[in-house]
Amino acid sequence: MSDYTPLKLGQRVPDFDLDTYEPARGDFGTFSLASQLARKRWTILFFYPADFTFV
Amino acid sequence: MGCDVVTVSTDTKFVHLAWREHEKELAKVTYPMGADPTGSLSRTFGVLDEASGLALRGTFIINPEGILLGSEMNFYNLGRNIDELMRKFKANVYLARKTSEACPSKWKDEGDKTLAPSARMVGKVHEALQV
Repeated sequence: MSDYTPLKLGQRVPDFDLDTYEPARGDFGTFSLASQLARKRWTILFFYPADFTFV
Repeated sequence: MGCDVVTVSTDTKFVHLAWREHEKELAKVTYPMGADPTGSLSRTFGVLDEASGLALRGTFIINPEGILLGSEMNFYNLGRNIDELMRKFKANVYLARKTSEACPSKWKDEGDKTLAPSARMVGKVHEALQV
């Protein structure tokens, strides 16, 4: 997998969808970058190693 | 400044639900919790640790046009400073409107000193910051 080139600053982020758990609604949902762009919203992605650990 | 935060790990949405409902420290967390069980999004952003299948502590700011403007990555054992994340986010929003300006390291919020890079400022940044 070492031939993989991660995104660089200034590049366009390829569209993506994520299954989500939405604590505000207590339900599952979907997050899509396309819908963020359609609604002119900024996005902050916050990665962390694993649930049930210490974020 | 419409913005949405999404947290992402390689856990499934089911585990997210269980953790959010179990861990009292998360009682106030209302952000959508994204599931990346294949690691594909983590890999796109270069935070996937292929050895463990886990995502490192990466934070990314994407503007409303889909351009990646901010990137920060920490190893497993170092937490992120939310004040610094918010500073960078606010600066990006500000700079999207004020495209000829630059926010120096001590910029915290609207109204703080910015720089307008020009030929006259070359070698004179110290003086420009005093004004």
